[in-house]
Amino acid sequence: MQPALRLGLIIGSAVLGLFLPFLLGGTPAIYSAAVLIAIFAVMAYGLDTIVSDLGEVSLAHTVFFAIGAYATALLSTGLGIGPLATLAGTIVAALLAAGVLGLVTLRLREFVFSLVTYAVAVVAITVAANWSFLGGSDGLRGIPAFELFGYEAQGDARLWPVAYALLLVTLYLMRSFRRSRLGLAAIMVHLNPRLATMSGIDPQKTRLQVFLFSAPITASAGWLYAYQRAYVSADLLETYFLILMLTAVVLIGRRVLLGPLIGVAIVQIQEKFFSFGGYVDKIILGSVLILVLAYLPGGLVGLFQALREAGRRVRERDEPVIPAHTQTECTRKAGP
Amino acid sequence: MNLTQQLVNGLVLGHAYALIAIGWTVLLGVARLVNFGHGQMYMLGAFVTWYSVSRLGLPYVVAVPVAMLAGVAIGYVMQRVMLQLTLRQDLVSIMIVTLGFGYVLHGAAGLVFGSTGQILETPLSVIDIYWGDLWFTWQDVAIIIVAILFFALLKFVIERTGIGRTARMVAEDPALALLAGIDVKKVYLGVFAFEGAAVALAAAMVAPRTPILTSMGFDEVIVTFVVVVLGGIGSITGSYLAGLALGLFTAFFGALVSPAYTTAAAFAVLIAVLVLRPGGFAAAPGSR
Repeated sequence: MQPALRLGLIIGSAVLGLFLPFLLGGTPAIYSAAVLIAIFAVMAYGLDTIVSDLGEVSLAHTVFFAIGAYATALLSTGLGIGPLATLAGTIVAALLAAGVLGLVTLRLREFVFSLVTYAVAVVAITVAANWSFLGGSDGLRGIPAFELFGYEAQGDARLWPVAYALLLVTLYLMRSFRRSRLGLAAIMVHLNPRLATMSGIDPQKTRLQVFLFSAPITASAGWLYAYQRAYVSADLLETYFLILMLTAVVLIGRRVLLGPLIGVAIVQIQEKFFSFGGYVDKIILGSVLILVLAYLPGGLVGLFQALREAGRRVRERDEPVIPAHTQTECTRKAGP
Repeated sequence: MNLTQQLVNGLVLGHAYALIAIGWTVLLGVARLVNFGHGQMYMLGAFVTWYSVSRLGLPYVVAVPVAMLAGVAIGYVMQRVMLQLTLRQDLVSIMIVTLGFGYVLHGAAGLVFGSTGQILETPLSVIDIYWGDLWFTWQDVAIIIVAILFFALLKFVIERTGIGRTARMVAEDPALALLAGIDVKKVYLGVFAFEGAAVALAAAMVAPRTPILTSMGFDEVIVTFVVVVLGGIGSITGSYLAGLALGLFTAFFGALVSPAYTTAAAFAVLIAVLVLRPGGFAAAPGSR
């Protein structure tokens, strides 16, 4: 595809996305779902870099999400500062937390890494629910409405452009990350640590850097979520957010740019518009996560590819056999 | 504060912790598997016991095996679903799948048992014992006895019997075990069923000490992590001693510092162990 055409298509679909909730009816429920989808997708993208690119499972990303929300609540109610300043505070807090956690877990791999990150998440719940500085079990209330350059985002319809902008920035960051040296180094460390070391890549440094890239993304979702809800409490650390993130990351397929967004959208649409009650929704979400990992390791994209492959084989069986060398030539001609 | 009373509390807690963690210890030591749904399986074991006693009117001694059977069923189903992942030794996916199972169990328990807290009363937990100025219940005594018996039996089975040898061989080298004619799948299914039974037994014994909620299980997971890591992964004797140490630590920390932060303190112990003794993870699979 021509680069100019490609750019035009991307800009076109980005503009279309902005008006999507309006086109779908523009009711408060639709705007509310759209805002939550954007926020939770950003939250999931943070985890996506760790799971899909680095190949580790961090179970502490709910903590970064909560750090963003709590930092925003504390800064906006305590110091009365605006969204840009609270975003800066959120990013600093997330970097600090990720740095500490990253250094402690630097040498831990696979399940020990996940075990420690899970323990961090569980302990964070007890700390958030008991520490009066964080409002204890009541949480923190009275977060002012989102107001930036005179634009006051009272209500989900007004907040939607902000959430959408955050989502677009995140998508751009993810795309740049995967093309950057760090992104390539992460994949190499993930798939072939020895080769990575031989190529002069320090696996531990790479891990730490990816961690530092990932945490602020998830935290910035918490930042906007605090404004959306106007209060924060320890329920931000519930397993729900962790399961939602993990499901979104694996449901569509690893390292698919729009994967986490589509995954979050599917889950949220089910919960907001086709809900069977809280408990059954839990069972559905958990089951989706189990079934995808156990039976569809490539996600829905992998399933689609497998089906296409199967279809191609069936067609080939019916067609006359082409000699091997001409076949390669054909594919070469058909290729880009 | 009465020091001796805290010592008694610590001993009881310690045996409770060891019992809660033993399923994971075997899972990890014998089969190199993990289960992040452990806490929710504990919760379910407690609720099945409670339901059998207070709703079905079964005697406590019958309710315990009923809960264990439920645990076996859940453990079997879990392993059945993720058998391919286990055979591929895809630990990352296994972790997430077990986390998902925990979430499903949480939802299912809420659906069946509701979200209100319950008290699991057993014939043993209602009888107090006063000994000097010390206080405990018969349930506490039962926890200690059951834990010691269970650990002794398990150590015997793993070290001295054919079942133990088979399981250890599978842990050491699944491919070689397969070559030797061992049905590896059966061993994995059996180990997971054992994990289910063990955690349900722990729940039936320990849960009467506190009110039970369908949202509980997280503290038990932290306890399990600490015991498994502290004890040297997969070591049965190590787990027993680690459970005891953690129990005493928790009892004194709760009395001297703050009961609200005992889980956080246990986690601090976990981190300290990891930083000071990273070699604990190097324990060979199947080692005791």
